[in-house]
Amino acid sequence: MKAIVKLAGLETKMFFRDRLSVFWTFLFPVVMIWLFGSMFVGNNMSQKTFAEYFVPSWIGVNIVTTSFFTLGTVLTNYRETGVLRRYQSTPLQPWKILAAHTFQGTVIFSISAFLLMVFGMLLYDLTLPVYIGSTMLSLLISILAFFPFALFLTSLAKNTQSAAAISSLFLNLMLFLSGATFPLEMMPTVLQYAAKVLPLYYVIQLLRGTWKEAPITEYGFEAAVLIGISIVSVVLAVRFFRWSGK
Amino acid sequence: MESVISVKNLSKSFGATRAVRNLSFTVYRGEIFGIIGPNGAGKTTTLEILEGISIPSGGKVEVLGLVPSKQLRELNKKIGVQFQATSIQKKMKVKEALDLFSSFYEGRTQKDYLIDLLGLNEKMNVKFDDLSGGWKQRVTLALATLHEPEILFLDEPSMGLDPSARREIWSLIRLLRDRGSTIVVTTHYMEEAEQLCDRVAMIYSGQLKALNTPHELLNEGAADCLDFKSSGLSREYLQSLPGVERVENNLDEYKVYCDDQQTTAYHIFTHCQEKGITLSDFKFEKGSLDDLFVQYVEKEKIG
Repeated sequence: MKAIVKLAGLETKMFFRDRLSVFWTFLFPVVMIWLFGSMFVGNNMSQKTFAEYFVPSWIGVNIVTTSFFTLGTVLTNYRETGVLRRYQSTPLQPWKILAAHTFQGTVIFSISAFLLMVFGMLLYDLTLPVYIGSTMLSLLISILAFFPFALFLTSLAKNTQSAAAISSLFLNLMLFLSGATFPLEMMPTVLQYAAKVLPLYYVIQLLRGTWKEAPITEYGFEAAVLIGISIVSVVLAVRFFRWSGK
Repeated sequence: MESVISVKNLSKSFGATRAVRNLSFTVYRGEIFGIIGPNGAGKTTTLEILEGISIPSGGKVEVLGLVPSKQLRELNKKIGVQFQATSIQKKMKVKEALDLFSSFYEGRTQKDYLIDLLGLNEKMNVKFDDLSGGWKQRVTLALATLHEPEILFLDEPSMGLDPSARREIWSLIRLLRDRGSTIVVTTHYMEEAEQLCDRVAMIYSGQLKALNTPHELLNEGAADCLDFKSSGLSREYLQSLPGVERVENNLDEYKVYCDDQQTTAYHIFTHCQEKGITLSDFKFEKGSLDDLFVQYVEKEKIG
């Protein structure tokens, strides 16, 4: 337990030591909301205002970027530079490393999400989530589904470059097909079905729903899908943890 | 003597490449055991099998009574490993790294002792990336020895270090041995093996070529020679002297490899004295493991 707390604390602290990456990590989502805001503000989408539609979905997208780009890239780099190799000859177990990085990712993500929400409230009259407990629970489930999923997928990469390629593919697919950026109603029926294969779709449904319409109990199916993904990817990430690129 | 590592008929293949072939040796408690060989000889592969990171293709390996590839977690509590050219997190401070690695082990660690011993006090708040090569080696050596490991594995510990940093690392390694660790070290610097190791295993293309104390290896290998200059001697005459193994010459500079330096020298001196031949720069050269190593590699090429 001592090791996991130390490692989680240190990894989080070290993230904030890299000022430049901190700046870009937190600026990106806010700029995206502002860009979409200048395009869509005033239009109602699926009976929601701009902010009610886009802020929850960008919080969802942020889970994806944090999991693939912050966590996935860092661990791939550790694998490449031999940081994980050094851990391999100590009693530290893989699940503790994954848990520590999940904690780090959760801290980074929470700050981004908070910034997005405050930005939405200041500029686009967003209100706090109506079912705030449900929203928090949805975020937790989403994190647990996405972080290990990304950690497993990027561990298949041989080096940082191919990890970045895997990450970009997944991010772009989900960005455009999950309803995060463009309303799904605009898309052909085939793509609407395709969207339902992507985990981000369920994250966004949960977040948008609990923000305005109903508590999480009304979204049992979406929650169940994410919990399922979470269990499978935790098992895969721990079972197939790779210590080195070889 | 109590054995801590026993390797019997070990082999390891990567596809068609046989990196290690039929290797057998034993390491005893409290010794500094060297594995030497050129780059690509199979040293690192052998070490990785002992550390349990790599699974052998054949043969039996026991480290501290455990099978490394199957009882890795148990083994990791008892061994320390200094890898070749691996890093820790660039932005981690020395103090943080020591704290973190200490938390991996149950019970007390010798952290404070190591900080004193390695002089890490002045570097505690420096980030790993800002340290020089020698300091990085000290820090990672400290990380590998925090839990007073029974066996310490060092893969090329002095690679890329300047001569004085290399000597410091050697004395630290000896000190750790004196505190009770058994040390297994790989190197391709023959000087390192000569200075540091109690026994040396010489590996070439995955096979064990020789195993003995550095001193005995040198005696067996007959790498001792006489080194001198003279214009009045012929190669044929020197070759004909009793006990001479081979003669190398470059114009009037000779190297005479022989079993018994004193007797051969006596023959040469008597001959020259009688014939009035001038000898200069006469030296008794002690062969080095370097010479021995070249001999083995050349034998391999011929055979």
